[in-house]
Amino acid sequence: MATQRTETDRPRQTGEPRLKVGAPTVLPSRRSRVRRLVPRVVAGATALCAFVVFVQGHVALPFTRIVTIEAKMASKADYFEDPEVQRLLVRHGFRVHITRMGSRGIAAQNYDDYDVVFPSGQPAADLITKKRAAEGHPATTYRPFVSPIVLGTYREYAETLQEAGIATPLPGVPAGAKPLYYSLDMEKFLRATADGQRWTGLGIERHGIHNGNKVLAQTSDICEANSAGTYLGLVSYVWNHDNIPQNATEATRFADRIRLLLNDQGMPSSEQNDTYVSAEGKSIAPIAVIYEHQFLAHQITAQADSGRADSERVLLYPTARFVTEPQFIALTPQGDRLGELITKDPDLQKRAMELGFRVKDAAGAASTSDALTRFLHQRHIQAPVLADDDTKAVLPRLELLERMIEVVGDCDPVAQSAAGGEAP
Amino acid sequence: MTSRRGSARPLTLALCLALLAALVSCSGGGSGPDTTLRVLASDELADMGPLLDQLREDTGVRLDLDYKPTNDAGDTLLTGRHSYDLAWLSSDRYLRLRAKQAPAGAAPATGVQRTSIMRSPVVVGLTQDVARRLRPKAPGGRVSWADIADAAATGTVRFGMADPRHSNSGLAALVGVATAAAGTGGALRPEDVSCDRLRGFRSGQTLTAETSRDLLDAFAGRPGRTNALITYESELLTLNASGRLKQPLVIVHPADGMVLSDYPLLLLDPARRDAYDRVVKWLTDPGHQRDIMRRTLRRPVNTAVRRDERLKAPLDNALYFPDDPAVLDRLLDDYGDPRRRVADQVIFLLDFSDSMRGARTTALRAAFAGLSGADSSAAAKFVRFYQGERLTAVRFGGRPLDERTVTVHGAADLTRLEDFVADGGYDGSTAIWSALDHGYATAERAVREDPGRAVSIVLMTDGENNAGIGRTTFVSRYRARPADARAVHTYPVYFGDADAAELRQVASVTGGRMVDAHDSSLSTAFKEIRGCS
Repeated sequence: MATQRTETDRPRQTGEPRLKVGAPTVLPSRRSRVRRLVPRVVAGATALCAFVVFVQGHVALPFTRIVTIEAKMASKADYFEDPEVQRLLVRHGFRVHITRMGSRGIAAQNYDDYDVVFPSGQPAADLITKKRAAEGHPATTYRPFVSPIVLGTYREYAETLQEAGIATPLPGVPAGAKPLYYSLDMEKFLRATADGQRWTGLGIERHGIHNGNKVLAQTSDICEANSAGTYLGLVSYVWNHDNIPQNATEATRFADRIRLLLNDQGMPSSEQNDTYVSAEGKSIAPIAVIYEHQFLAHQITAQADSGRADSERVLLYPTARFVTEPQFIALTPQGDRLGELITKDPDLQKRAMELGFRVKDAAGAASTSDALTRFLHQRHIQAPVLADDDTKAVLPRLELLERMIEVVGDCDPVAQSAAGGEAP
Repeated sequence: MTSRRGSARPLTLALCLALLAALVSCSGGGSGPDTTLRVLASDELADMGPLLDQLREDTGVRLDLDYKPTNDAGDTLLTGRHSYDLAWLSSDRYLRLRAKQAPAGAAPATGVQRTSIMRSPVVVGLTQDVARRLRPKAPGGRVSWADIADAAATGTVRFGMADPRHSNSGLAALVGVATAAAGTGGALRPEDVSCDRLRGFRSGQTLTAETSRDLLDAFAGRPGRTNALITYESELLTLNASGRLKQPLVIVHPADGMVLSDYPLLLLDPARRDAYDRVVKWLTDPGHQRDIMRRTLRRPVNTAVRRDERLKAPLDNALYFPDDPAVLDRLLDDYGDPRRRVADQVIFLLDFSDSMRGARTTALRAAFAGLSGADSSAAAKFVRFYQGERLTAVRFGGRPLDERTVTVHGAADLTRLEDFVADGGYDGSTAIWSALDHGYATAERAVREDPGRAVSIVLMTDGENNAGIGRTTFVSRYRARPADARAVHTYPVYFGDADAAELRQVASVTGGRMVDAHDSSLSTAFKEIRGCS
């Protein structure tokens, strides 16, 4: 499409000088310890001032014009809420004010007063760009990073699945360490759900856990969240023998077939990852559909805070893989500038990787994973080693996926919701 | 040079500190003008009051809270006729379910932004005495909703629970216990609640209130009769710490799962977004989360907070919450008004023709013994005979042979009933329609004596009709009965050499449902139709 462009340019070095906060160039003096300390105190205070300014973000310095970008986004707010990202953005004169909601919710509502919308995946992004193009306001799209859809779980659950022959640790576990990553045989896993298998039946008690619930993965609200819609696509792909529906009738039939696999969880909780990382996560949603970056970000934080990774939380990679591609859609020239920046600025791209995202670079996806792997190893965190022969799942065409979402989740169609305008 | 530098230093330092002070002062204050937000809040959140003064001091936002029971607050929001900027509910599940029933195009009432502030599961507090009686009998000492229901049915547990029609704690408890009773391991579906399996549980309720706060006060104020309290973990911990009880309650997290509440703060008026953000930021800050935990004993959502010892124990599984409004309607209808007396009657029409001799009678006795408490499965604990229930057994052959009615007050009543069922003569023939006609005469008397009574008939037979009146005679007599007697459904149990088509007719004429004991056992079939009426 003419309105979209894929960002494959080599990241360019920004011309702006780095702000240096260091000790003034004073020669060391032997005369007084106090005197030597004074410049450091001054420098420290300056640094602190500067730090506060950058962290605060919204405090405009007299010499920098800070533009506030109004943005709607879902889980990718994790990136813009990172203090380091905020600091880097302020350096470039940006502050981002985020209204957080599910990706499909973003597409369903009015976004006229926003500079940017940043749905977590392509389906919601397509809904938006199509609508914009139809209205005569084509939008530019940036894809600063990607992240696979995964299932976050806890060690006892992963080991129970392993004993049941449903999950297998990924290779590359360091000697003496427990695996952090597993491969999940999606077909067997869905079969367990379809058969009404319960955790007690799989022997979870042997791991000291009591849970009589059905074996299933819990998602955020399918009417709202890209992760849930993507998981629906993944489940449909696996359950319908690696097929996608080709027309509306098939889409309805496929959706009916997988409805129970997704609906036994009842009322979804609002944000799976918030629950997953919380202390009660193991009781509320022992298998949660999240993004890889959310898990890695949790591990990176855990490592930084406690000196070691959280070995209680582990990740299941579905054998049918799907990499979600968040799309940063610029609706104003300011938004365009920000999209350009986060896609091309090496520091912002590097920071994205440090937050667990897979960033693209000129050499392609393979080296991307290598960079992430190197980074995780540097931080003494196991890195996932994914087999190349896993199936790459394919999502149905947009309108067919939408139809399936409507059928499974009993959701309002997006077009109608958009006509209704923003919630008051 | 050195001296000039020296004189510049204090100035730089002063400037810097001034800047720093300015920044810190505006950052700590939440950077916004003083304002007031009108908030519709669950009554339980009254305990946040003292912290809100601090919130106002720090952020400039005054929260003006109107308290209501959570579900009533949800109903208010759904009308759309209110002037609240925010809602702060113990849970928004009731609101979200009811919003699904709202006509298309209605203004969404569930908020434009939602932030969970804290968590607490609805659990059971037992007096030490009751805990000592229940724990040793529970597998691994882990008491379940099934054990509570069983003990309620026998009168051992006499519990207080807020009204599920109004209060979130009551609704969370109701969904929890109903999900455990259905025992599917999934979220409740309409078919899971087509029969009411909570009557035994409900028979143990001796105390109720519209709000969990009133419930707590009523319990603490009148110790004695009620010996268990079903409400939030946080409220039980707070009650225990308050010194209002002679002995603290033993807090039981039911082994078959529980429902957690997550206290979402909902933004209703998008124009108040800035103030909302300031409030959310303050409430989720680790320091304030710690203060909230210390004051209310709810579980913080901020993972950086060091947990209170009482909140460290891991929870077992949370139950899936139904997302079908029809399930909610059915549960609330069946549970009804907690103040209303529950008085059910089941009339068992039991075939004692010769073919019932031996194994079949043994199976029948086992089924009655199972419902009297001998069956220790979770399902049986929910559907067992319960205190206050009236049970009538009619033995029939070629005609109604004998009838016995007991009202359950204790084990002795159930023993009398079992003895009646066990010791019987047999008759040569089988008069199904005559027995049924007799059953309806009994039912008619029962509903005339006590119009509030829910009556149902269970017909168990192992053979075909070969004596007494025929179907047409029965039907014409049945049609001549008053409406409330005709409303009594019959649940035929298909057993032995019975005629399935005939039994289906019985079910369809009376509005009941046939169960097949061939597929399972007589005990299972009896359990399946318990609570259906």
